[in-house]
Amino acid sequence: MQAKLRDLLITNILAIVLGIVASGLMLLFLGKNPVSAYSVLITSVVRDSYTFADIFVKATPLMFTALAFAFTYKANLYNIGAQGQFYIGAVIAAASSLWLQNILPGGLVLMITLLLTMVGGGLWGAFIGFVKARYNSNEFLVSMMSTYVALAIMNYLLRTFLIETKAEYPQTDALAASVWLPRIIPGTRLHIGFVLAVLACVGVWVLLYKTPLGYRIRAVGYNAGAAEMSGINAKKLYILAFFISGALAGAAGFTEVNGVQHMLVQGFNPDLGAAGIGIAILANGNPIGIIFAAILFGALKVGGTIMGQMSGIPSSIIELMQGFVMVFVILSYFVRTWLENNREKRKLQKAVAK
Amino acid sequence: MINLLSRTIMMGTPLLFGALAEVIAERTGMMVTAIEGIFLMGAWAGFVGGYLSGSLIVGFLSAMLAGLLVAGLYGWICIYLKQHQVVTGVAINLLVAGLCSFLYRVIFGVPITPLTVSPLATIPIPLLSEIPLLGPILFNQTILTYIIYFLAPLSYFMLYKTSMGLTIRSAGENPEAVDVAGINVLTVRFLTVLLAGVMGGVAGAFYSIGFLGMFTTNIIGGRGWIAFAICFLGNWNPKGAVIGTLAFGFAEAIAIYMQSIGNSALFPNELFIALPYIMTIVLTISRKSFNVPAKLGVPYLKEN
Amino acid sequence: MATAFFELRGISKYFAKVIANQDVSFSIQRGEVLALLGENGAGKSTIMKILYGLYKADEGKLLKDGREIKIDSPKEAMELGISMIQQHFSLVPAHTVTDNIILGNVHGIIDHKLFREEIKRLAELYGFELNPDDFIRDLAVGVQQKVEILKALYQKTNLLIMDEPTAVLTPQEAENLMGFVRDFTAQGNSVIFITHKLKEVMSVADRIIVMRAGRVFGDIKRAETNELELSKLMIGRDLNWVTKEDRQESIDQEVRLEIQQVTLQEKTGVPALKDISLTLHKGEILGIAGVSGNGQQELCEIVCGAILPTKGKILLDGEDITERKIRARIDLGIGYVPADRSSDGMIMDMSIAENMLLKSSYAKKWQKRGFIDKQKLNQYTWQEIQDYSIKAPSPETIARGLSGGNQQKVVLAREVDNGEKVIVFDQPTRGLDLGAVNHVHQVILQERAKGKSVLLVSTELAEIFALSDRIAILYKGEIQGVFNSAELTTEKIGLLMAGFREREVKSDAG
Ligand SMILES: Nc1ncnc2c1ncn2[C@@H]1O[C@H](COP(=O)(O)OP(=O)(O)O)[C@@H](O)[C@H]1O
Ligand SMILES: [Mg+2]
Repeated sequence: MQAKLRDLLITNILAIVLGIVASGLMLLFLGKNPVSAYSVLITSVVRDSYTFADIFVKATPLMFTALAFAFTYKANLYNIGAQGQFYIGAVIAAASSLWLQNILPGGLVLMITLLLTMVGGGLWGAFIGFVKARYNSNEFLVSMMSTYVALAIMNYLLRTFLIETKAEYPQTDALAASVWLPRIIPGTRLHIGFVLAVLACVGVWVLLYKTPLGYRIRAVGYNAGAAEMSGINAKKLYILAFFISGALAGAAGFTEVNGVQHMLVQGFNPDLGAAGIGIAILANGNPIGIIFAAILFGALKVGGTIMGQMSGIPSSIIELMQGFVMVFVILSYFVRTWLENNREKRKLQKAVAK
Repeated sequence: MINLLSRTIMMGTPLLFGALAEVIAERTGMMVTAIEGIFLMGAWAGFVGGYLSGSLIVGFLSAMLAGLLVAGLYGWICIYLKQHQVVTGVAINLLVAGLCSFLYRVIFGVPITPLTVSPLATIPIPLLSEIPLLGPILFNQTILTYIIYFLAPLSYFMLYKTSMGLTIRSAGENPEAVDVAGINVLTVRFLTVLLAGVMGGVAGAFYSIGFLGMFTTNIIGGRGWIAFAICFLGNWNPKGAVIGTLAFGFAEAIAIYMQSIGNSALFPNELFIALPYIMTIVLTISRKSFNVPAKLGVPYLKEN
Repeated sequence: MATAFFELRGISKYFAKVIANQDVSFSIQRGEVLALLGENGAGKSTIMKILYGLYKADEGKLLKDGREIKIDSPKEAMELGISMIQQHFSLVPAHTVTDNIILGNVHGIIDHKLFREEIKRLAELYGFELNPDDFIRDLAVGVQQKVEILKALYQKTNLLIMDEPTAVLTPQEAENLMGFVRDFTAQGNSVIFITHKLKEVMSVADRIIVMRAGRVFGDIKRAETNELELSKLMIGRDLNWVTKEDRQESIDQEVRLEIQQVTLQEKTGVPALKDISLTLHKGEILGIAGVSGNGQQELCEIVCGAILPTKGKILLDGEDITERKIRARIDLGIGYVPADRSSDGMIMDMSIAENMLLKSSYAKKWQKRGFIDKQKLNQYTWQEIQDYSIKAPSPETIARGLSGGNQQKVVLAREVDNGEKVIVFDQPTRGLDLGAVNHVHQVILQERAKGKSVLLVSTELAEIFALSDRIAILYKGEIQGVFNSAELTTEKIGLLMAGFREREVKSDAG
């Protein structure tokens, strides 16, 4: 057991380091010195609190989308449409805030908006679960496709109903400050959404591992046949799992719109879904692990952006780092199995030799 | 109308490349979820190769090589290291997206006006292209269209009438049977994935140098997934893939056409952009029976 | 003695968690039938897969005609004239007989017509009734085995390895197979016959290799041994078998479960169960005999509510429960030990405690303020671990790490508690070693003694005879007849299992 935990930590850390090193090597193509680029990055990330806090700002929506993937993953379902559910959440957050901000007090608007984004994202997700349960559609395919549909809907609304008063760019008006999520550290962008995200992680963990419902979801995920044979209605759980998953991704729309952007802009945050999957994998699907993995990815994002600003390194370095880290994390899964098997085999051979 | 149908065939061409590749690989049990990344890498390499050499042939060859490399990485991780196909695909797609835009920047910097190459010309086939109606639709296409409509029946024949096809189909249904028969399952799977890489690379290059004449990072925009979907909806059969491709090509041709005549309130552009995706969802719901290869997506483990 | 045809010398094979073979050496002569005898998990399949090139040995070497050889893949084995029929058939259900036989044996464009004729001829040569165009999925297991044999013969085999070939056959079919083996070896070929059944060994083998826990414990001529000696070598100790004397013969006459004219229509239109009527009394064990795949699983699932019948009724204590679904039936006290425990009975990646919770996750008794009462659950599980002597260090042990016998005990413990009235056992001892088999049998008899009603489905006739008060025979979804167990002989039941009606059997056997 101890050896296993050690493997897990070492291989994961190694995967992250290798991912960063590999992207660093890519910098050589640009004629940049990766060592100095990274050291500039690290010093500037910790230099001022604004930048440092931004890591957690970036981590916030990632926690939600990672949870969205991990939650269905526990039910052995693939929700790779968190990006779309996030778009739906974002659209609803913007619409609801703009509509209610002049009618109701800010706090109330925030609560209603959070609820609406979760329900909206949840229903968008539940549709995927429904067609899976009812028509045995491939949820992987449907969730993937639904993202593009959600994107089209968002773009359409940004061009028509939600477009700013000036009607110049495809974006909404800015939200009134009353419906911004409160900052938790003055002078930074860190808002209360981060706390919500951490709470969501803990909540999902409790739900999955401490309640009968979570138990059933995991049971269906491991072996739907045996679960059905035990009187558990897997189909109902598919829909429910997708609803919860979609609701979590939808909440990311809320924290981004009300907490960071304070408006909805076309084409923002296009890689939350994919990065969320990477985080979930890095955390081995564990909701608590997701908190840390999301912060790591947040740091990569902030670091990548700074690199771009400081030394003309393109912002695609972020995707590159995320991609490399993900691939190495997957490789580390293999390495762990291999180590484990070898250890067992040696144990056996030793026992024979005696 | 003729224009629209001709566009249908044309826009279907890369999809058919991807879908056929996917059909062959999935018949061995391998979902090529890296297909989106393979398309993108192909588009990128095709453009880079074509632009730098000034030759579209070099462009397409580079695209094939690039597709092969991405597929090789994917196949190695999923087949030999037995990792998860969906998860690995997502990771590789993300990595490729980063690589393409990063390397584009490395090679071309930040050009003020978009760099272009002149795309693949259509080749009217003598006599046949003169036939009224059909001629301009079917026989005034690029070389790739002719190639793929030659490959489609060929792949059908290969799958159902040859020993290679029997092995491929058996590998996806019961890999153990293939193993016991003395054929290396992993090799069979790996080779089909590599083939998918080559074909997917060509498909991707079609978008950059076969049609648009330029490269942007979102040039593929989910079309790899459409090819993936066509394979599903076409019931893992080359015939189904052709039919599915025509349907999706038509949807895309309409989208392009509608965009060209501008927006209307009732049918906004976004609706047509989303049409292929909506179509996929509707079709997965309405299709009754699927002949899914029994071991699709399941790694072959002999010892554990 | 002449140089051996094939010889294995000092072969060892380590899997990640078990030593499957340790220093295994034996040889096979030309024209010989060699039986490989051993309990489940003894390493028989593994050692033969090494000879067939499917696995790579960690130590040791292989010899043919006295010369060392390497066999790195089944292809190389086939070139040396070795064929192997796997324990779990390696056929492609979605393909035809022809396609399955020619897989790996043809190159280039396939001339289907030619091969079809060739296979037809080969089948006729060996007296097998086979249609080359049939799909494997439509064939009974006995016929599938013939396809496997043809596949081997098609490759011009000199050494045929058969891994537990009789497990899926009726007694008569098994007898035919023995006949084939004798004919085949009479032509100078060799056969390695893997089994854990002593009777077969005595009837067909020339020489016997006994394996236990990965090692060879005996290499004996058939003529120089007997069943008792073999069983001791195989098990390594004496076993106290549950015998008829341990059972009470009285059957409580009160009816508990009634199945009335139940028909189950499958999607394809053919009935999986046809007009089945059975009565199960309190304190009775009703055995269901039959070759597997004749509707056993469907019958079990209908009783426990996993599927609902197309026609007919099910009554429990006189109450109509036909429309009650699986969760309701669990609450009514119907327990079910499914045949395939890893796919239907338990969740291998969860702990023993979590597996105990599987059927009662809705029940309030395991909850505290909406959360799972883990402490209570663990206490209960630990008690069960002791009661059933499950070899596990704690309730939190993951089920996958347990041996097959211990996994089965976990399911047993749970279902015995769940099934307050009726317990359905589907092949409860399949794949277990004899010690575990014995334990399962004891549990079944204990539950009967408590007055529970037991439906026991098994393809092992010995098991059916050892435990049942009454026996029903299932063939193609129909009941061939219900008998008191004393009324039946092996021969008679064999004929019934092969589809003969009671009348025919009487006139045949009489
Ligand atoms: N592919 C495998 N991976 C890991 N362990 C295995 C594998 N095959 C068999 N084993 C283990 O090796 C031992 C011997 O198995 P096997 O040769 O199948 O026994 P037998 O055929 O005598 O029943 C068992 O403990 C089994 O669990
Ligand atoms: Mg075996």
